[in-house]
Amino acid sequence: MSYRIPMGPFHPGLEEPYKLEMICTGETVTDAKLHIGFNFRGIEHLAETRNYIQVIALMERVCGICSNIHTLTLCQAMERLTNLTPPPRAQYIRVIVAELERLHSHVLWAGIAAKLMGFKTMFMTCFEIREKVMDVLQAISGNRVNYAMNRIGGVNRDIEDPASILKMLEALEREMLRTIIPIFTTSTTARSRCAGVGVLTAAKAASVGVVGPMARASGLSQDLRRAAPYAAYEEMEFDVPVQTEGDVRARLLVRALEIMESCKILRQALGKLPPGEIFVPVEKYAFITGTATSRAEAPRGEVMYSVSWREGSRNPARVHVRTPTYANMPAVRWMVQGARLADTPLIQASIDPCYSCTDR
Amino acid sequence: MSLTTALARLLIFPGLLFAVPAAWFFLWVERKAVALMQGRIGPPFMQPFYDFIKLLGKDVPVREGIGGLLMKAWPLLAVSSAAGAVALLPVLPAQGGFQGDLILLLALLEVPSMCIIAAGFSSRSIFGEIGSAREAVLSVSYNIVFLLAILSIAVSQHTFRLEALAGLPATPLRWLGVAALLACLPAKLHINPFSLPNAEQEIYAGPMTEYAGHELAMWELAHGLEWVAATGLVATLAAPRFALWWLAALAFVALSFAVVLLLAVLASATARLAIDTTVRFYWHCTLIFAVLAISSALIMRFRS
Repeated sequence: MSYRIPMGPFHPGLEEPYKLEMICTGETVTDAKLHIGFNFRGIEHLAETRNYIQVIALMERVCGICSNIHTLTLCQAMERLTNLTPPPRAQYIRVIVAELERLHSHVLWAGIAAKLMGFKTMFMTCFEIREKVMDVLQAISGNRVNYAMNRIGGVNRDIEDPASILKMLEALEREMLRTIIPIFTTSTTARSRCAGVGVLTAAKAASVGVVGPMARASGLSQDLRRAAPYAAYEEMEFDVPVQTEGDVRARLLVRALEIMESCKILRQALGKLPPGEIFVPVEKYAFITGTATSRAEAPRGEVMYSVSWREGSRNPARVHVRTPTYANMPAVRWMVQGARLADTPLIQASIDPCYSCTDR
Repeated sequence: MSLTTALARLLIFPGLLFAVPAAWFFLWVERKAVALMQGRIGPPFMQPFYDFIKLLGKDVPVREGIGGLLMKAWPLLAVSSAAGAVALLPVLPAQGGFQGDLILLLALLEVPSMCIIAAGFSSRSIFGEIGSAREAVLSVSYNIVFLLAILSIAVSQHTFRLEALAGLPATPLRWLGVAALLACLPAKLHINPFSLPNAEQEIYAGPMTEYAGHELAMWELAHGLEWVAATGLVATLAAPRFALWWLAALAFVALSFAVVLLLAVLASATARLAIDTTVRFYWHCTLIFAVLAISSALIMRFRS
């Protein structure tokens, strides 16, 4: 006998309000439907009513986890419309903040995944480490969630003492190597709950069009930091971890390896931080009429901004955002089909969903 | 055992008057130990008591008909049977008891689990029903091992009387049985890695989803009493015998406390297993273990 079981919109297994409606036979899920839109705030419309300074602060609030990547992508698009190029030091600082954000986002996700496996001790450990990443971000920007680092043509704050940040980073890396990475890669509990669960084949991944760690865990090697470098990524040496299994464990592994790659990038960026200005001093921004797009590799995958402007206007004519979760969420349906009911929270969370960004 | 002694045991010691504070204490120990291992501060000492009182003061939705009546009855039945199970434990030596009280204890220990199954189905909630189905599957899996472990101990030592059993010297087989019992306790008490019926990330509170107020308070109490009874059973079988009554009681409490701590460590160090893995665990590993125990117990009995 099949029955319908709703998960959400408010559920202890979900970080945000959305709904996964599953059709089950016994403990096996036969089909699922995903409903979003519970967190719609009309941000894109609001953006049209804000000037070029206010819109950055507004778009920073699209997401509470990857706030920086939104302002970074928006500023890159606006820089195209104003013909400004940020100075090299600003590009490096953008890389540093983006990678720190990736670190805390991946560690947060590890905690959520652990919680969904019922492993609350690991959840607490992950969040403890995440606090330390946020301490580093606070040391740089003065803020813990909305860093307010980006501006048109550069960044707002300088990193005056990269050596002290480097020291904090080394302590952080040691902690990650000691706790999170072994749990991600070698723990038998993680393996028993994740191996072979929620498989998304490379062909399906390509046809659904998934992005970011989801795609990389299904064998599709794609990373904008490598394919279309922005900020100072062209000058960084790093690997793009790819796994071919396409299951939850592969997604765990990809993110664990990305944490290590992020540390590598951070070390390089802090070590080679060039001297100079941190923004282009301009009296008045001269926007040209047109539409500019910009892409960046957010912790969850590719985020794209399309910004339209009319010359002489202080406000954007249109700001459109495509978040990585929008690309990844259709895959949930294919991944939960045939899965055990007990695994569905973990499977849906393995895309590292951020429905608040998607709903906006 | 006279009626007065039986009532005194049920209502005063080791029954309700002792068992209820003990239940809150054990719940607190478990929560505090898990919290400390997770780097949290954990609840204050009186928290389980406060929770109970707070829940008693809350309103309960009005439920019409036989379903509503049943939903009221299940937690009460669970509390009374768990309290009865605690009352049978020979905490103090030379308290009496009767031949076969072990069997009664096992039956009483099983009633709360059956009440949970019935409660989930009575609530007509999809989450309650799934939780109940999980509890039923879990109960079938671990109970075989649980019962075989106790039977093997009883058969090898020629008695079904708890007090006599507690007084006899421990044999290697008895330790084997105690180990099998310990393996079943996480499933019986719904803690990790077998916290399936109340897996909040999957099915909210499972069978308890529709419960609130004083009914939920009763469930919490029944759960606490189950902790006392189940850990007490292990303590009874594993505690060394002392002539001095206070020393015996102290050993009993200390051992129960140690079992609670052990279970808390296990709960905080593991993730929740899926239902099929759990069933496989009990049927494959522990069943073999318990069958070994009971067959050697029979051999020992025929030899002696």
